[in-house]
Amino acid sequence: MHLPFGYQESIVTPKFSRNAEAFWSFAAQKEGASIVLPDGRCDIILRYNIFTDTAPVPVITGPGTMPYEIKYTTGDSWIGVRLRPINGAQLWQSKMNGAANKVLFGTAALEVLPSLAQIARSELSFESLLGVLNSISKKSHSFDKFDVLSETLDAIHVSGGRLRIEKLATLAKCSVRRLYRMFRGSVGLSPKTYSQIIQFHRALRLIQKEQLSITAAAFEGGYADHAHLTRSFRRYGGFAPSDIPGDLSFPDFFPS
Amino acid sequence: MKLGYTIIYVADVPSTVAFYETAFGIQRRFIHESELYAEMETGATALAFAGNEAAEMSGFAILPNVPSSLAAGWEICFVTDDVETAFGRAISVGCTPVSRPAQKPWGQTVSYVRDLNGCLVEIASPVATAI
Repeated sequence: MHLPFGYQESIVTPKFSRNAEAFWSFAAQKEGASIVLPDGRCDIILRYNIFTDTAPVPVITGPGTMPYEIKYTTGDSWIGVRLRPINGAQLWQSKMNGAANKVLFGTAALEVLPSLAQIARSELSFESLLGVLNSISKKSHSFDKFDVLSETLDAIHVSGGRLRIEKLATLAKCSVRRLYRMFRGSVGLSPKTYSQIIQFHRALRLIQKEQLSITAAAFEGGYADHAHLTRSFRRYGGFAPSDIPGDLSFPDFFPS
Repeated sequence: MKLGYTIIYVADVPSTVAFYETAFGIQRRFIHESELYAEMETGATALAFAGNEAAEMSGFAILPNVPSSLAAGWEICFVTDDVETAFGRAISVGCTPVSRPAQKPWGQTVSYVRDLNGCLVEIASPVATAI
């Protein structure tokens, strides 16, 4: 990439989006279903319907490694905050290890995050969610741990998930064992699983956006062959590379 | 077609630019305000630095350059009449020595260092023209 002299644009970088919590909302205009692809991050969500007065349903998700189908009817709405990868454990605390792919609703969600009960129907806003967020992020990471983890996440994303943990440990200047423990403890997934999710998203993008053939995407994406890519697509997307569904919901890895 | 740019992907563009100014005595042309891209004054073919995440934004994947890794299999080469002095200056401001200035059979003096990001940089005298 190169930029001409004098070119002006405020660029939201991938690194910035990895180092910030992302607030999002969605309101269904009509009945339908959507497949949410995994991105290894945890969400704090309140689900409600704009046509009813019932209290919002709290939802907490663990770091996802599997596609998740959501069905909705007209007026179903969500307001949520997606935690940065290294903050998963702030939410799940000691339950982080078993949190992968967990989706907790209602009282089960409140057991993990009691402050979510304080948001009434009339108070649904990003500001209220920020308050909830602040209630969990009091314990901050040590600088050393933060550096190792954010460097590792950068390396995973920049390399398209193609680096093994030994290489990641070299880049972050720490031992494999320590990196594994820290990563697993904060993100809630192993570096390998997280890398495979990133690798899957990149290959998907190569096919969808760059219109590469499956064989070319497998090669550029670092898969051994067509069959290897197909297995990854089935595992993380639930579909074959030749049959990509139209109703995918993408985590915003590559802001355009 | 002609070669327009040599672009090296680095963790920190501004500090790499500053490092190249002091270590190799070349000047900056500009640093983009995003700090994700910079060019050096190297004539028609620009030596440029881009942030690692610029690669990610462009949709390609790279192996990041870091000093603790094996050097990537390519180099840039600066040419000077005084290799000894240039080599000494590069080392004194933080380059890692790889091979000290040595005379080659074809009359050229050649040395190698690795820069702050672990990239291989050759410092050499001009190749003598055939007599």
